[in-house]
Amino acid sequence: MAFFWFNLALFFELFATGGFIIYIIKQQKQVFRWSNRILLVGLIFHTIFLCYRYYSLGTAPVLDLKSALSFFSWCILCAYFVFQLKFKLRVLGSFVAPFSAFLMIISYAMPWMEAPVRPIFKSLWLTIHVGTIFMGNGLFAIAFLSAIMYLIQERHIKRKRLGSFYDRLPSLATLDGINHYSIVYGFPFLTIGMITGSIYAQFALGTYWQWDPKEVWSLISWFFYAALLHERLAAGWQGRRAAIMSIICFCILIFTFVGASLWFGGYHSFGELGARSTL
Amino acid sequence: MAKSSTEKGPNPIWGLFSSVRLTIVLLIILAIASILGTIIPQQQDALGFAKQLTPGLLRLFRSLDLFDMYHSIWFRLLIGFLALNLLICSIDRFPNTWRRFRAVPKPDRSKPFERLPSGQTFLTEGSLKEASATVARFLRSRYKKADKKEAREITYFYGERGRFSHFGVYFVHLSVILILIGALVGSFFGFEAYVNILEGERIDAVTLRKGMVPLKLGFEVGCDKFTVDFYDTGAPKEYRSDLRFFIDGKEAKKAALLVNHPTQFRGITFYQSSYGTVPGNKVRLRVSGPQIGSKDTAIEVETDKLYDLPGGEGQFSVRDIRSDIMGLGPAVLISVQPGEGKETHFWVFQDQEMVKKRLPPPMAQSPKFNPSAFKPYTFFLDGLKTKYYTGLQVNKDPGVPIVWLAFFLMVLGFFITFFTSHRKTWVRVSKEGDGIRISVAGTANKNPVGLKRHLERLTKDLRNRFDERE
Repeated sequence: MAFFWFNLALFFELFATGGFIIYIIKQQKQVFRWSNRILLVGLIFHTIFLCYRYYSLGTAPVLDLKSALSFFSWCILCAYFVFQLKFKLRVLGSFVAPFSAFLMIISYAMPWMEAPVRPIFKSLWLTIHVGTIFMGNGLFAIAFLSAIMYLIQERHIKRKRLGSFYDRLPSLATLDGINHYSIVYGFPFLTIGMITGSIYAQFALGTYWQWDPKEVWSLISWFFYAALLHERLAAGWQGRRAAIMSIICFCILIFTFVGASLWFGGYHSFGELGARSTL
Repeated sequence: MAKSSTEKGPNPIWGLFSSVRLTIVLLIILAIASILGTIIPQQQDALGFAKQLTPGLLRLFRSLDLFDMYHSIWFRLLIGFLALNLLICSIDRFPNTWRRFRAVPKPDRSKPFERLPSGQTFLTEGSLKEASATVARFLRSRYKKADKKEAREITYFYGERGRFSHFGVYFVHLSVILILIGALVGSFFGFEAYVNILEGERIDAVTLRKGMVPLKLGFEVGCDKFTVDFYDTGAPKEYRSDLRFFIDGKEAKKAALLVNHPTQFRGITFYQSSYGTVPGNKVRLRVSGPQIGSKDTAIEVETDKLYDLPGGEGQFSVRDIRSDIMGLGPAVLISVQPGEGKETHFWVFQDQEMVKKRLPPPMAQSPKFNPSAFKPYTFFLDGLKTKYYTGLQVNKDPGVPIVWLAFFLMVLGFFITFFTSHRKTWVRVSKEGDGIRISVAGTANKNPVGLKRHLERLTKDLRNRFDERE
């Protein structure tokens, strides 16, 4: 049954991605409107899939890379719809939909592994911890995409080539605004996610911090985002510098998410999550 | 925030520790060191890695504490410097912040109005007095207090919001220092230990993870019962220990311990962390009788107790129980004492077939490994009755409440820092030709983009107010 909802979500998200790509080429409002609706339908099926998995596992479906990727994709879409309501930017979808569909395809390609849920993961803290972290990640993904759009747009303006992309992308100020807001809102989510994670660890393992590789890497990405925010708020960084920095930060964040869990081991790694015999 | 006050004099150490550049350098060093720590295996995992190193490298790594760097002196020193840096930066900049918090700007400043964007000014009709009254009413609905200053042909207003926003950053800095204090308190006055308690038994000491030395608790903990639920696949689903705490032999507390649900007693926290089994003192045996074809006798026996042989030719007992011998699985040592004659000892394995296959023939034929050594009986081991033990993590960390408080302060501090700003707004009402010009200007301590949007919205609302009036 879970397959069914997952595939349905993937299908609609891919369909919407196609629509968004046609939109950026043809620039027809009608195409955007329908793509957005289809994406929303995909998000609804995705939500049903996650609820179904939550119910059948008894905990948040984030315990292996496959599920975590699909959850990440879901968070990005949620962040997108919130921003869509606030900024009404049509072109954002043409960047967000392919990105989240890409994550879903990777997730789709990975095998289903029904590892039993170890008792330690049956905790509401896990859901809160992972949920807030990924909401932060989703917002940072939007910041990353808007930074890329910013750099593309800036290049076009500098070269005075105002054709193709120029009309299709929003103004530099708007893109900078999206970048700013998604980081200002993403950072507290990341912070709360790390805090709830350490509260969870205190209850489950007896220590709130134990220098696990993933803990260390998320602290590093936290510092990078803190530096970016500090510069934005106190030193008034804007535009190009902030865009480049938010791309660097996102790369570190992605490394924390994927690299640190796959290569370094520690209790956050997906291998350990499924296989460790104790606890 | 960028400029540091020099009132403290030119003390170079103070100057060093109050610089943001030091913060950045320290953070970069800490980041690189932490990344190294994720690449070099730490603590228990380091053994395998250490074997691959040349002796020279190994000595170097050892002397730099690279196998447990997060707990090394130099790493702690770096963190200490960072804390000191944070503290001194905060102290150094506090007087300025305090001044900015206390300052009451004059309503009739003209600097904010220089190079005013067109979205923040508009022309309207009417008299200066009327317009001023409208602006005053409008500002009173927006700000707690709106200062006013009248000059010839011109009226100034001043309103502000978010004075406390200046302190947000101090909450964040304080929270970081509190986290470090909490960690320090934990490492000085706390401990991490573990203990295994057999079902039905009591312990009064635990083993410290650091140095593997025992630590007396000052009370006793007993495990009445251990239960484990399994999934169909055989993986554990949930397990619990029913614990009882005793002071001077008297029961003081009863608690059920589950994963994710620790229990506290006298400031020490107990976590369910693992479990296992050990052979108990009971086994299930089967003894084939003297007559061929008769039914085997199945019995449960305890160690060192005497049991009659089914045919009555003597007695036997179980002398030893092993959960594994030579990789051949569980075995028991049986001793048979016939009515007359010498005692016979022999081992009985649970998997006798395996013994035949795996043991070298001379050994397999030895009476020591023959379950039929005492004729005409043959002994079979059906199974060991195992006992559960519960593995507990036993920690004491008096720093935890401090860390929790710090987390709360940090979230509060970030909220204040990101979502509030000290916005000062000036409104100028002046005569221009036959009409009245209304101009709105402002400054803020952060978020210039938000300020601009705020001022434009304020101007628009004010304009609507004038339009309604007409």
